[in-house]
Amino acid sequence: MEFFLESILNGICMGSIYGLTALGLTVIFGVLKVINFAHGSLIMVSMYVAYWAIIYTGVHPYVALIIVVPVMYFFGYYLQDIVIKPIFKAEKDVREPITVIIVTTGVWYILDNLTLLIFGPQYRGIQNNPLRGKMLDIGNMLISVPKLWGFVTAVITAAAVYWFLQKTRTGRAIRATSLDREAASLMGINQFKIYNIAFGIGTAIVGISAVTLVPFYNIFPSVGVLFDIKGFIIVVLGGLGSIGGAIIGGIIIGLIESIAPMFMTATWAEAIVYGLFLVVLFVKPSGLFGVKYDW
Amino acid sequence: MTRKTINTSALILLGVVAFGIPLVLRSPTYLHIICLLFFYAYLTTSWNLVGGFAGVLPLGHSAFVGIGAYTSTVLSLQYGVSPWLGMIVGGFLAGIVGILIGLPTFKMRGAYFALATIAFGEGIRVMFENIETLGPLNIRGPRGLEIPPTHTGFVNFMFNTKEPYYYIILVMLIGVIAFTYFISRSKLGYFLNAGGEEPEAAMSLGVNVARAKLIAMAMSSFLTALAGTFYAQFTLYIYPKSVMSLDLSFEIAFIALIGGRGSIAGPILGALLLRPVSDFSRIYFGSSLPGLHLIIFGTVLILVMIFQPRGLQEPLLKVYNKLLDRILQQAPQGKAGHEYS
Amino acid sequence: MKIDIRIMGKLTVFFSIVALVAAFSVLPAPAVAENVVKVGNIIPLSGPSASVGQQGKQAREMAVEEINAAGGIKSLGGAKLKMIYADSESKPEKGVAEAERLINTDKVNVLTGCWNSAVTYPTTAVAERYGIPFIVPVSVADKITEQGFKNVFRIAAKDSWWTRDQFAFLKDMEKEFHTPVKTLAFVYENGDWGQGFASQWKILAKKGGYKVVLDEPYPSTATDLSPVVQKIRRARPDVLMLVSNAADAILLTNTLASYKVKLKAVIASGGGHADPSFLKATGKNARYLFDIVEWETDVNKPGAKEANAKFKAKYGYNLAGESVDAYLAMYVLKDALERAGSLDPAKIREALATTHLTSGPGMIVGYDSVEFDKTGQNKNASLIMVQINDIGNGLERITVWPKSARRAGYTPVFPMPH
Repeated sequence: MEFFLESILNGICMGSIYGLTALGLTVIFGVLKVINFAHGSLIMVSMYVAYWAIIYTGVHPYVALIIVVPVMYFFGYYLQDIVIKPIFKAEKDVREPITVIIVTTGVWYILDNLTLLIFGPQYRGIQNNPLRGKMLDIGNMLISVPKLWGFVTAVITAAAVYWFLQKTRTGRAIRATSLDREAASLMGINQFKIYNIAFGIGTAIVGISAVTLVPFYNIFPSVGVLFDIKGFIIVVLGGLGSIGGAIIGGIIIGLIESIAPMFMTATWAEAIVYGLFLVVLFVKPSGLFGVKYDW
Repeated sequence: MTRKTINTSALILLGVVAFGIPLVLRSPTYLHIICLLFFYAYLTTSWNLVGGFAGVLPLGHSAFVGIGAYTSTVLSLQYGVSPWLGMIVGGFLAGIVGILIGLPTFKMRGAYFALATIAFGEGIRVMFENIETLGPLNIRGPRGLEIPPTHTGFVNFMFNTKEPYYYIILVMLIGVIAFTYFISRSKLGYFLNAGGEEPEAAMSLGVNVARAKLIAMAMSSFLTALAGTFYAQFTLYIYPKSVMSLDLSFEIAFIALIGGRGSIAGPILGALLLRPVSDFSRIYFGSSLPGLHLIIFGTVLILVMIFQPRGLQEPLLKVYNKLLDRILQQAPQGKAGHEYS
Repeated sequence: MKIDIRIMGKLTVFFSIVALVAAFSVLPAPAVAENVVKVGNIIPLSGPSASVGQQGKQAREMAVEEINAAGGIKSLGGAKLKMIYADSESKPEKGVAEAERLINTDKVNVLTGCWNSAVTYPTTAVAERYGIPFIVPVSVADKITEQGFKNVFRIAAKDSWWTRDQFAFLKDMEKEFHTPVKTLAFVYENGDWGQGFASQWKILAKKGGYKVVLDEPYPSTATDLSPVVQKIRRARPDVLMLVSNAADAILLTNTLASYKVKLKAVIASGGGHADPSFLKATGKNARYLFDIVEWETDVNKPGAKEANAKFKAKYGYNLAGESVDAYLAMYVLKDALERAGSLDPAKIREALATTHLTSGPGMIVGYDSVEFDKTGQNKNASLIMVQINDIGNGLERITVWPKSARRAGYTPVFPMPH
């Protein structure tokens, strides 16, 4: 029983971190209507930024957010502005420009391999950080402290993003653009500026998720690939573009990964994830919290 | 000399060149690279039946390559069935799986469809990695199957030289191109096209879009699986991460999009650009600057998409037509196959 | 007449790319001096195994520099070894394509590679077809030398020997420390390598009378291994046996430590646990871990210390089993070339088959000679067990088994203290 509860808690914590990584993806999709295949690479870049920030300043991993978030915001902003915007301009009349998938995949190859060229294939981890390996002991249950921090961060970030989109002027402009590009443009909203901002915000969220991972995870050039497909599955499960859906979708995946191995090998648990994903798609193609008109 | 005769003669010239290549180019290295180029062109042309004409973006086609490769290999290793027969069996199996995948997914559009097919492809790979034996069939999970290179000969689909492989994949490629051409001119092709662009409108006109798409999917997965057998016999070793990898699914789709999806020439143009970029950049930079070749590959993807988001096929066709105009207006005896090829 | 300028611009871009590619392809192969032996090396330089590929490349380079500086191959008039590297990206089809290229276009005299067994199978088949000798420094799957190929020579031990020695080590430890071990847990990456080890383990456990309480493959792309660690904790095995790649080895070690799983011993199988960055990324969490390797820096062999010091000064990390095999492979090749006195592949093959290398700079391995049996397997390849511990010089890998090779003055820690 304790093991079961422990597995559930671990699943929720790890899952919410998955959800946080997917949150960035879903924000970008919500506005631009494209899947960002460079998503994993952005996690990887953020992890390297966080790693160097922590190593050089020696601060608590979460203090690195002060550096990582703005750096990644501008990284995303200019990535969209310079690389992806030209496609949108060329394909104005297409609602979901598929070509963007290719461009973001190109970005993925470039970022991953540039990192390999510059930093080498080594695996890195931050040895001296106050969160590393810390466990919370409740009865006979052990809960990972860095994952707990990740859970809290995920919830706060999701709430903040939700508040931002609902209450601020920029947030409302973003939502307007995501609902109807043409109408938003007519209202005087600069569509491409909004795209840049949305991409920047999405990337900044990816940066936050990377900071939650760095205390207990290792860092290497192809680390993003591990989170890539997981992110796609989560956003579709939760409903593309849904903020709460991303977190809940992440938690569902985390729970399966955590609980299913109690009854089968971990490799079959991986198969269950795909199975459940497909079942949800057939029953409710717009995902658990998706809006129907989007599919 | 009319436009049509020029077109036909250009095509014939192209065919003659293609069949003549091994007579001139003796290097197995280059023949190997060209075989893979044709292999990818073949896969992409098969993919095009769904991804191009039906207007959706399937990203899980490597599953069919894997089904084809595994079926023929298991049958030949365990029961001594000729891979040629296994190839057909694998094709039908893949066709059935294709329909099973198509039934639910064709209700989805855009990103949902793309992601659902990714999940299907990855799901099938994970299953294969978890299964040691499938009934009496020994598929050996993640360890894969190696084909002993001992029994060469046509019946065994195994040769010591590259030329037979070259002609086999060339004939397959020409076959699939002819088939696609035929389909695109048929009623099914029109249905698919209509369904891809305006599904609601097409449906209101009484076109059974869903059925057309399913037929296209079945054909596409059947054809894709045939190439799986070719791959298995060509590299003599298969395992889930090679024949069912997401990388392979992506590459098929990329070649189509770079070349121009939904056109006959697109997949070939895409393969003609991307395969050499991928191979030669790896050969020249792979050892000295690890990873640089993939950076170059990524850059080419981005550049082509920025400058030619509809693929290479469109501008090249325009130039070809302009050239034809010019030739027809002026001295009508020039050959005009070069630009197009 | 009026061809759209815009289209022309785009076409220019396209054709310049094509031209660039074409230019590369027609460039003559780099002009080669007369007197060289061309060695093709197919290793993973990018992709998930890039780290191990880089180690193999750097070890080869150091050996070749030494050989060439010492006058090259004397029986061939001082011919120099010329290395040609190809990146397999850990993908079989890339390995095969590169083998074809190296053999047919670069006309290499001998091939080496590929680390990933999945790449080595089909690549050695290509070499066999052309009759080009193929030296496999490391790729442990048994079947590599069991395909009936005449041109394949493997330096490293095969996986049935690795697993055999792991169990022999365990028995010896039980005796030496009077600590019986009853239950085992097998946790391994779900790939060719992990499955190969696990199937041998199961047989050996049965023979040795151990009870297997957990037999758990995990996907090597797993992002969270705490479910697996929880299973280990629940199964309460005495000894945990692992096969892991680098990323998962690090994650598993750290997670085991934070869950405070109580085990008598952890026995790993090289690979990820022997990666140079493993110790840096796990720190004291890796303490007391046993790992099976072919070579360790404290091996009692003349020249080993110097070779390692030189390597470390050059590349910043220690030699390890994988890199030493690559290093030795170059000296085995040199020895064979000296005896062959010819670049004829058949002659090189004959020379390799009759290898009996006992001395020289390459022989820094724990055993006395390199000899190949009929299948091309190095008969004498032996393995050692090391323990990761800190005895005052920071964490290091200390040889503990076989007892004859144990570092002087060191007593292994078994069972693990808690």
